[in-house]
Amino acid sequence: MIRRSIKLTNRLGLHARAASKLVQTASEFKAEVWLEHNARRINAKSIMGVLMLAAPCGTELSMEVDGPDEGEASEALVRLIEGRFGEGE
Amino acid sequence: MSLVLTGIGTTSGIVIGRVHRLTPGELSLPEYHLEPDAIEVEIERLHRAVDRGQRFLLDMYEKVTGEGTDTARELLEAHRLILKDPLLADATCNRIRDERINAEWALFKQAEQLLAEFRRMDDDYIALRREDLEQAVNLIQRELAEQPASLVGSQVPHQLDATIIVAPELGPADLTLLHQRRVAGLVTEHGGPWSHSAILARSLEIPMIVGIHHALEILEEGEPVILDGHYGALLASDDESLQRHYQDKLEVTRQHRTDLRRYLGRPSKTRDGESFQLFGNAELPQEFQRCKDDQVAGIGLMRTEYLFLDNDLPDEETQYRAYRQAVRTMAGLPVTVRTLDAGSDKLPPAMAIGQGPNPALGLRGLRLSLAVTDLFRQQIRAILRASVDGPVQILLPMLTGVGEVKLARRLIGECREELRRAGIETDPGLPVGGMIETPAAALAVTRLASELDFMSIGTNDLIQYVLAIDRQDELVSYLYDPAHPAILDLISRTVEAGKDHNIPVTVCGELAGDEQAVRMLLGLGVTRFSMPPGSLPTVKKSLLEASAKACRKKVEDYLSGNEIETSEKLLESLMRDESA
Repeated sequence: MIRRSIKLTNRLGLHARAASKLVQTASEFKAEVWLEHNARRINAKSIMGVLMLAAPCGTELSMEVDGPDEGEASEALVRLIEGRFGEGE
Repeated sequence: MSLVLTGIGTTSGIVIGRVHRLTPGELSLPEYHLEPDAIEVEIERLHRAVDRGQRFLLDMYEKVTGEGTDTARELLEAHRLILKDPLLADATCNRIRDERINAEWALFKQAEQLLAEFRRMDDDYIALRREDLEQAVNLIQRELAEQPASLVGSQVPHQLDATIIVAPELGPADLTLLHQRRVAGLVTEHGGPWSHSAILARSLEIPMIVGIHHALEILEEGEPVILDGHYGALLASDDESLQRHYQDKLEVTRQHRTDLRRYLGRPSKTRDGESFQLFGNAELPQEFQRCKDDQVAGIGLMRTEYLFLDNDLPDEETQYRAYRQAVRTMAGLPVTVRTLDAGSDKLPPAMAIGQGPNPALGLRGLRLSLAVTDLFRQQIRAILRASVDGPVQILLPMLTGVGEVKLARRLIGECREELRRAGIETDPGLPVGGMIETPAAALAVTRLASELDFMSIGTNDLIQYVLAIDRQDELVSYLYDPAHPAILDLISRTVEAGKDHNIPVTVCGELAGDEQAVRMLLGLGVTRFSMPPGSLPTVKKSLLEASAKACRKKVEDYLSGNEIETSEKLLESLMRDESA
């Protein structure tokens, strides 16, 4: 299991477009992905869960990835989040 | 009997057609308990329903084409994610198992729980997602009931020309299908102007009215109606002469337009030899094409608010693609892109970062851009990148002083430098102009002109601010006078300042698209006019047949109070003598 924390730096935080991309990326892997923020723990493969996190820019999320391809999954998600979901800012 | 129903028009346009009602067909949700050995079968039934729903959405995804494809696909994809969402499908399975209830009931209960959770979040954005969740759940319920997934599927004939669909509400999948079948217009009982279907209808350019309550109770199948998306009015009438009247009116307008088009090819010179130039106001790809076809000298105003209407702010790439497409369509003609002019009346949900006591005098236009500079930079970078493909100018809205111009210019310079470092060279001489639409800008125009490469007069706002009149306010709208001497004086100052500094001045408000007002503007020395493509033929004809000298004389007579006393008389006389 991989556990790490990561900061949302895209301007809008986890709003719809970013949330969709996150869910799509997480769903590409077998590993389970959990995100936690404000004592709320959600499945990163759930679009509604991610939206309910309502995490704005600057939020520190803790991420937990568990499964056979956890390494790749975690890397892909970090790349997506650090790349600001391709928002260009 | 005639009847007018009103709602909120979300896509303009007039359509005459017949009503086709789409009723949800009472979906009765059975509720029953399961024997233990029936549980797995029930779960399997749910999975199959979800799979069929997914396939339906995927199918729609593949089928959608043309304008609005990106928006439609994004919405369909969001629905697909909801369908797959473990909080919905898995949790419903758990309920079937734990509570030993049938799939419909379990799904209903799970959806209610999620909706309650969504309701607790007071985020406008989430509020809209609720609608998506409801639609996705409905899709599964229909599959469970083995009814067609879309309202549209079974209930709608394959050709919808001249058909106006009336439904309680419509999802993106419904809209996609209706569009394919060439629906003429849409009416829904629920939903607001920012609902996903309204946004989608706008990008597909289908005239639409939302929020006509009880429309299904009132309107009958096959009933002839006239839909006016601009006013949000639906005229239902069995009076055939009224129908014919509108039909004739549409026909006459069409014919008249065709006749006028022959003026477009003529050299742009008034009767007495003064040159003028016509530009187009455009934002959608078809409008650019139309401007190009109508032989404009360029795009005088590309508004960018439409890019920000959605709940998500557009990223740099999305903006870049929109600007680049405009630049490419215009093929070498200049495109004037106005930076976001989110204003008092049209603040997209994503931009509602707080509203002061008086939005008209608040954080709007360039002020908002300079307050949220990362957003501004993003837009500027996208515009600069598009300028690689052809001539582009940047237009700054809502200026009041030189400081704003300097700050904006500095940011533009920084963006250019960033791009240069990333290997994208953009024109360092890319013109930066400003809207003259506040009294401050118009009065201090000499000073502003020295900092700008061109100026555009936005008459709509200028008139409101100078006359201190809100046009929407019925109590004072009688005072709204576009030919008020104060307005003419400010326009004339701006024209003079432009001449002194040798920079072009264009009028791009409503006045520039009015056949009478353009003659008045001509009389004030304006020679560049920017208007919606639809106005180009009439304006061109009016200017071709005008005498600039005579127009100047009449405007002078009016301003000095000689002979021509009122603005009505001025406009009237400008048309009268010269149509000869």
